[in-house]
Amino acid sequence: MFLGLWEAGHYLTPASARKFFPSIGEVGSALYVLFAERNFLQDVSVSCWRIFISFMAASAIAVPIGILMGSFGNIRALFNPTLTAWRYLPAASFIPLLLVWFGPTDQAKIALLFIGVIFFLISLVLDNTTAIQKEFVEAGLTMGASRRTILTGIVVPAALPAIFDSMRNMIAVSWTYLVIAEIVGAQDGIGAVMMRAGRFLNVDVIMAGIVTIGALGLLTDLIFRGICRALFPWNVERRS
Amino acid sequence: MNIVAKDFTPVTTVPPLKASRISKEYLGGTFKALDDVSFELQENQITAFVGPSGCGKTTMLRIIAGLEYPTRGRLEVFGKNVQGPGPDRGMIFQAYTSFPWLTAMQNVEYGMKILKVPAAERRERTMNFLKLVHLEKFADSYPRSLSGGMKQRVALARTLAQNPAIILMDEPFGALDAQVRWEMQELMIELIEREKKTVVAITHDIEEAIYLADRIIFFSRQPGRIKADIPLTFKGGRRIKQKEELLELPGYAELERQLFAMMREEIK
Ligand SMILES: Nc1ncnc2c1ncn2[C@@H]1O[C@H](COP(=O)(O)OP(=O)(O)OP(=O)(O)O)[C@@H](O)[C@H]1O
Ligand SMILES: [Mg+2]
Repeated sequence: MFLGLWEAGHYLTPASARKFFPSIGEVGSALYVLFAERNFLQDVSVSCWRIFISFMAASAIAVPIGILMGSFGNIRALFNPTLTAWRYLPAASFIPLLLVWFGPTDQAKIALLFIGVIFFLISLVLDNTTAIQKEFVEAGLTMGASRRTILTGIVVPAALPAIFDSMRNMIAVSWTYLVIAEIVGAQDGIGAVMMRAGRFLNVDVIMAGIVTIGALGLLTDLIFRGICRALFPWNVERRS
Repeated sequence: MNIVAKDFTPVTTVPPLKASRISKEYLGGTFKALDDVSFELQENQITAFVGPSGCGKTTMLRIIAGLEYPTRGRLEVFGKNVQGPGPDRGMIFQAYTSFPWLTAMQNVEYGMKILKVPAAERRERTMNFLKLVHLEKFADSYPRSLSGGMKQRVALARTLAQNPAIILMDEPFGALDAQVRWEMQELMIELIEREKKTVVAITHDIEEAIYLADRIIFFSRQPGRIKADIPLTFKGGRRIKQKEELLELPGYAELERQLFAMMREEIK
């Protein structure tokens, strides 16, 4: 469906401007050239690596904090004002600061991705935690479970599938920041390749970059779903 | 009212639960959900809380469970003052609370794990209770693949396996359809009889109350007070397992009529 519209769009564009709206075939061959002759795989893996590291770091911090904030009112009260303020700051506004601190390095990009994701992830995890059925916790209480047991044995397993869903959604946001990060002062990565192509009006290469990101996004999503199915067999819809 | 308790046998032993002058206010004291409610439960009796919607049945049950604190009043379990929840009072909720991430077997084991029951004994009790609720074939199933009635049976087994002195139920069969509900009532009577438990069960359903209970506490509303405390003496101190047998007992129809009249009085 989408591909059909794309082809139609290409042929409806006046011939003089077709260079700016390449066909699927042209983008495909640009992709081929990128991978075969310009070591694009290197750029793709650099980008994936940045996403992976920043997202792991953000999750490692956001998930525990979100769960604790969702479970304990006093912890929520402590962190919430800070969290709200940070969430309203556009991550892109940190680019100049990060460039001054780290220069055009990998750290600068990873830090931007990290900032772009962590605060939203915390509030999503917080919501996932407070949204669990309150009777699960009350059942635990009437069984004489300690606070600790309720947290680790009831709240965490009850909230985890929803938390994974939030993470799956946030990693998509991560890709948005990646392109921004790599467009601003980067030598390598998918975004940098696209930016360079833009300077020479190589629209086919830009589109090849977009297609690559789309494909990687799809792949990440599939991997996440696979992990969820493996981790939470109890949550899988069963035909009976 | 001529059916208010008068022929209770006097209590000589310490009651499993004694509620003294319990009041519960909401909205900064402007709304009285419960007003000066006192009663004692008797050992191995099933007490039903009956009354119109909003009369404070759930509030009272949650106070007994320790999930809610009374504004005033005192609660004793076997003579000991209690505050907060504890495994001496097991609770079965109307919402399905068997944990979806655990199998039926792990669910039943869970409460005993909390109480640090040794593994061997735990296993044995788990299998035993799964069998009693007819779920031994579903030991390794997750709640997601069980029906509503089966989920409630898991919850029942989990609570019984922990061996609490008192079992509290808030409309446990309210979400089940008529036939499953009736099966569950029979199963419950059988298990309570077998395990010798003191039970408080909330129900909207007058017929269910008469069938299950040895005693009915009828609440009136706004503020929530005990309107009547009715021992079901017409059953002759027995628990009737077959519903049709109950219907034939002299006194059944009269009691049902009285309860309906009380309910009507409350809701007008
Ligand atoms: N947290 C709360 N804040 C304010 N009012 C409350 C709260 N919880 C309960 N109430 C009120 O207290 C009264 C008693 O509620 P409760 O749930 O105990 O009634 P109930 O007898 O269980 O009713 P139902 O048969 O509908 O379950 C109701 O009028 C209810 O609106
Ligand atoms: Mg209620």
